[in-house]
Amino acid sequence: MRIATAGKGGAGKTTLAATLARVLAQGGRQVWAIDGDPNPNLGVALGIPRETLENAPRVPRNIAEESHDADGVSHMDLKQPLAELQRQYAITGPDGVHLMFVTGLDHAGEG
Amino acid sequence: MRGVSAAILPDDDAVSLLDMEASIEHLGRATPQGVDVMLVVVEPYYRALETASRIAPLAKQLGIPRLLTIANKVRDGEDSRVIREFCRSHDLDLALEIPFDEAVREADRQGRALIDVSPDAITVQKVRELAGALS
Repeated sequence: MRIATAGKGGAGKTTLAATLARVLAQGGRQVWAIDGDPNPNLGVALGIPRETLENAPRVPRNIAEESHDADGVSHMDLKQPLAELQRQYAITGPDGVHLMFVTGLDHAGEG
Repeated sequence: MRGVSAAILPDDDAVSLLDMEASIEHLGRATPQGVDVMLVVVEPYYRALETASRIAPLAKQLGIPRLLTIANKVRDGEDSRVIREFCRSHDLDLALEIPFDEAVREADRQGRALIDVSPDAITVQKVRELAGALS
């Protein structure tokens, strides 16, 4: 299941996303939390210590390349297997929730 | 258009949870074909509601199959009424109302996880309901 949270800053989306991640993980699901906010604070809300977060790797912007299909629709394809990215870039927090930082990625194919 | 965020989301029994950038201008590219459900968090005040009303049609255009609105920081019946009316008039599916919760502020103050600071907080209880409804 792929879930995204959105909303105006300050509305509480990060607290709710983090709490949902922890609740699902406590229920036995494997959870991959992905912080897409340029001012990342999902880690703190998940209960990951600051020192761990400060040293956490960022997923580099060039992990994907853009291609265009026959209709000119753009697709982003990973250049390496997802499992490899997870091994390299994910940190693990309370209840076994995994966290990756992908800020800025979505501009990867631009200019 | 297919954002990397979608490419990076595992597609199996695992749950992936993408906390998106707040600005909706980002939504087109950032997201999320491949996302099964988008949770749009709103507060009972105009700017937050307006943001939600702009996110919703974009999310539909992007083909996200399920869009749920979550009302947060609801202080009283009037807040609740405003949000319900807004959701009704904008054709938004209001999935959950979460009361204003002092425990959230306390967790923020401490820089810790809400579920660690106050495991029985009303917000945590409501999120458990949501988790049950999602899975």
